[in-house]
Amino acid sequence: MNRLLIILLALAVTACGAPQPPLVASAVEITRPMPGRSMSAGFLVLENTTSDPITITQVASPQFAAVEIHETTIEDGISRMRKVDALIVPAKGSMVLERGGKHLMLMRATNLENTVTLQFMSEDAPVLNLNYSFPLEKD
Amino acid sequence: MTTGIRKTIYIVILAAALALGVTVALRTQVPDTPLFAFVLPEPNPVPAFSLLDQHGSPVDQSVFEGHWDLVFFGFTHCPDICPTTLQVLAAARTQLVDIKATPLPRIVLVSVDPERDTPEILAQYVNYFGEGNLGLTGSIEELRKLTAGLGIYFEKQATTGDSYAVDHSAAVLLIDPDGGLHALFSGPHVVENYVHDLPLIMSKQ
Repeated sequence: MNRLLIILLALAVTACGAPQPPLVASAVEITRPMPGRSMSAGFLVLENTTSDPITITQVASPQFAAVEIHETTIEDGISRMRKVDALIVPAKGSMVLERGGKHLMLMRATNLENTVTLQFMSEDAPVLNLNYSFPLEKD
Repeated sequence: MTTGIRKTIYIVILAAALALGVTVALRTQVPDTPLFAFVLPEPNPVPAFSLLDQHGSPVDQSVFEGHWDLVFFGFTHCPDICPTTLQVLAAARTQLVDIKATPLPRIVLVSVDPERDTPEILAQYVNYFGEGNLGLTGSIEELRKLTAGLGIYFEKQATTGDSYAVDHSAAVLLIDPDGGLHALFSGPHVVENYVHDLPLIMSKQ
């Protein structure tokens, strides 16, 4: 609970104009659904600016019916993908969500246009709100 | 002997040594060979099967004859490995076109999730990665005939709601125009690896 309070306080301080939110996202890439598909994947780097680990237990998006955290592994030439219950971003550390590793699985797109909003939750409290715009498609 | 003459002798000796070194290096150079693919000593014929292509037309093992085919086993609900691998194959093919390599390989996706991957869905999917690609789907039983004969593994995992994953081999197979498994790229799949190896392998057929 203390950890949650720290995160909430950090978010509140951020709202008052402090420089660093508890969780910072970079190198964000969300794929557009393939033709005929309603599913995307999300890749990014999450950096924890606090002195406590942050456990992400849920990710939600108004543009997708469900968002899950998955992990792909390749062992002995076999590709396997499994759902992951939580992501732990270490204190003052980072977590990479990448192709062939942990990533976001965004399922059943609804009313998807050019932007995706993601809310990362820790124990039902938001720790990061992210707005992503798809890059302009080249002709 | 003056300093100038001595310097000239040194230069002549150095030049001769350099020329000798280059000559020896050229004569002992190993011929260019595939570096990333495992080339089978003898091609292994593709087993008999009956599947559907992305147009819904029945096809059998003869669909691989007359082409060099880069064959990947995946599924359209796979969010990262499958599209990434197909993008690598498509980019490699584009580079082979750019360097005017002949012949060119066709890209083939064999779905290991025929339950969801209908010919219509496969058509949209494989076309996304370029023209002329081939998608195959069909019954699990027929799919097993093909994969078992090629050493490819796939297994559907437990379902959660309407979501499930399929474990599958990550290798890309190269099938020759006689319909034989000729080589295997086990990954990681890198564009430059294919651009280097494919012309060397395909030009020897």
